[in-house]
Amino acid sequence: MAGDRPVTRTRGTWRVLPLAFLGVFFAWPVVHGLVRHGRPAEVVSVLTDPSLRGVAWFTLWQAVASTFLTLLVGMPVTWALSRWRFRGAGVLHALVTVPFLMPAVVVAAGVLAIMPGGGTVAILWAHTVFNVSVVLRVVGPRWQMVNRETLETAESLGATPWRAFATMTWPDIRGAVRNAVAVVFAFCFSSFAVVSVLGGPSVRTLETEVFTQAVRIGDMRTATALAVVQTITVLAVLWVGRMRDGDDGGGTTLTGVRHVSERMRMRPLPAIVAGLGAGFVIAPLVAVAMRSVRRDGRWTLLGWRALFNGTLDNVGVDIPSVLASSAGFAVATVLIAVPLALAACRRTRQSVAETVSMAPLLVSSVTLGLGLVITFDRAPWDWRGDAWLLPVVHAVVALPLAVRTIGPALRAVGGEVLDAASDLGAGPWRRWLTVELPMIRPALARAAGISAAVSLGEFGATSFLSRSGTMTVPIAVGQLLGRPGPVLQQAGFALATVSGLAVVLSGRCYVQSTRTR
Amino acid sequence: MRRALLVALLGVLALGACGGTESADDSATPAGDANPSEVTLLAYDAFTPAEGIFDAFTAETGARVKVVTGGDSGTVISKAILTAGNPEGDVLWGVDNTTLPRAQNADLLESYEPVDTGDVCVNYSKKWYAQRGLQPPTGLDDLVTPQYRGQLVVQDAVNSSPGLAFLMASVAQYGDGWQQWWRALIDNDVKVVSDWTTAWTVEYAGGGNPGTRPLVVSYGSSPPAEIVYAADPSAVTEPDSGVIKSTCFRQTEYAGVLRGTQNPAIAQKLVEYLLARRFQESMPLSLFVFPVNPDAALPEVFAKWAVKATKPLTLPAADIAANRERWLREWRAIAL
Repeated sequence: MAGDRPVTRTRGTWRVLPLAFLGVFFAWPVVHGLVRHGRPAEVVSVLTDPSLRGVAWFTLWQAVASTFLTLLVGMPVTWALSRWRFRGAGVLHALVTVPFLMPAVVVAAGVLAIMPGGGTVAILWAHTVFNVSVVLRVVGPRWQMVNRETLETAESLGATPWRAFATMTWPDIRGAVRNAVAVVFAFCFSSFAVVSVLGGPSVRTLETEVFTQAVRIGDMRTATALAVVQTITVLAVLWVGRMRDGDDGGGTTLTGVRHVSERMRMRPLPAIVAGLGAGFVIAPLVAVAMRSVRRDGRWTLLGWRALFNGTLDNVGVDIPSVLASSAGFAVATVLIAVPLALAACRRTRQSVAETVSMAPLLVSSVTLGLGLVITFDRAPWDWRGDAWLLPVVHAVVALPLAVRTIGPALRAVGGEVLDAASDLGAGPWRRWLTVELPMIRPALARAAGISAAVSLGEFGATSFLSRSGTMTVPIAVGQLLGRPGPVLQQAGFALATVSGLAVVLSGRCYVQSTRTR
Repeated sequence: MRRALLVALLGVLALGACGGTESADDSATPAGDANPSEVTLLAYDAFTPAEGIFDAFTAETGARVKVVTGGDSGTVISKAILTAGNPEGDVLWGVDNTTLPRAQNADLLESYEPVDTGDVCVNYSKKWYAQRGLQPPTGLDDLVTPQYRGQLVVQDAVNSSPGLAFLMASVAQYGDGWQQWWRALIDNDVKVVSDWTTAWTVEYAGGGNPGTRPLVVSYGSSPPAEIVYAADPSAVTEPDSGVIKSTCFRQTEYAGVLRGTQNPAIAQKLVEYLLARRFQESMPLSLFVFPVNPDAALPEVFAKWAVKATKPLTLPAADIAANRERWLREWRAIAL
């Protein structure tokens, strides 16, 4: 692969860009933020404060319960969709996957539409809605590879399906399930928008408490100490999930081939299981749209009209400007995140820049937001009030997902094609432009869709930076739902519907790609 | 031709001279403003100035007043602090004596003036107690007794300005014993909601509201507000809400020029306008607060029904500045 060298070298210098970007807009604010106020003494005082310990306990408790509920719904759905083929499976798969990119406020709004009082049960439901798709995506591919014939042989020899599952399937999917559990737990542990919308003043988690202490009370030291506790916990859980990943690498029945059953007698059951699961997950999203046109059992367009007839002007929510800023930020996020992700990825193997680009997944968005307002508050870095910081932060959050989309696609481009291009006299740039780029164009489109969806839905870090001139759609939804008054609520549901539709559109290629995979 | 040039040149020089003096002192003339035709007033949701009250200001200065409300007072101040130095508007309405230390710490305001005063007091529904042949409470002590169990609704002290004032009332009354009193209050089934609007319009049973609780933390001026906002004000001879005077905590609100505003001169003019008689006299029946301008006359309905405690509960500013965060932390531990 001698012809590969010039490209690698050029790309090597490009790889500095994403690293520098993450250094300035991620590592510096997070580390500086946590170090500037996060003294060990403060952390200890947070852990010994009975009220904050209560908050930590509730955070842990709801995350465990949410994870459990997610598995309860997610595992049967994953079994049905990854082991069986039936009419409508593709549609159900897509439906279960839709919430993955849905803005958290939209899901929260949907659960609120069904359970107007909110509360802990509502929070658990909303968390499950998101995370069933995580189980499906992480465990599904693995489960598909479990050898059906071995299982059938076992069953024909008298093993009950349960026993066959426990002794043959489970050892193969155990690692994937553990991974999924770690990711789901981390999501629920650091969930912000869902708890903010559904919680009310007395339901507090570490994540919402960081925000309350920092923004509402102005106690940065307590906020930072809480963020430290929260970050350490998430890192520990993800590390444990990852560390155990390797200990059951090759299962005995894994074949690397998809094993999808079409046996007639089982056909209704998987379809029913998948249908119920999809219904559980999709109900809140349907409820958002329904609630935007229904109130007290009557149809009304009051909420939709309120969006555009100036009703919301005097509560500081200017919808045309909100839509314009969100759209602008989404485009800007794509323009920042996709080129940076492309620069980070290497064709031969995963680059250091790619690995480092995953870092924003490890830190909650509220912690990032806190770091940003602490760090960028004085000249010459007095940036926290600047509008450009929002798409930059959205790009930080989107970068890991964009890199994960582009990296594998880049490595899937056959080396021989590029060699052939070189042999025919194409220089590295020309080869990249005319051969490589067109081949990864679908991946780039997917990365763009994901980045836009992230920007359209980002809530945690944006809450710290949002201002009336640059308010984004999720922030506006959160504000409208948080205020009393039927018209404001109704308008909140209408805007949540708009937001959900926008994300479905921008994530469309993404969902399609996962469905056909 | 030459004359025209000379005039133009003189004009430019004059402008330059003006500009020079402006930046030399505190840029106090409208010519130093980026956009002198509009001035943005940031306020909390409950800021509902009288219809057309800023017309006279616009006529005088040529600047339109744009009022932007951004949630309850806690939210508005927090947002302003997060963007201190690079503000979302020119003038801030909504800092009061309980939140002023925060604003000062964050160096939020270029300048500020007290603009109105009022009392935060427990209100009760006269009808509710009369119908049951019961006596309403007479002070904070009563609120923790079994007789008034489950009857009071208060606001989250973190988000809501009357909520914070009520917390401070308890500190003013009980000193270090305030936590004990709050524990007893929580045990007595007090309801904590996020903001005043929810407390008044959803939970409160008095004043024609649909709620179930006859006691609410509100204002000494709630009774006249009830009459003014009645469907037919002339039909209401007496408001349903009464005020328990001994629970009143004195609030002083400030209006200030936000540091970093692009329009400091017109912003200062707006603050002056807020302090002048016309606006001050409009406040009692639009914002339901007492004017600070001694020349401002009170409307009759307000003078008759609004309560201003003769001996309100107060706290020294230094105490508030030193302890606010701790009180809030401890209050949250007890109440939430």
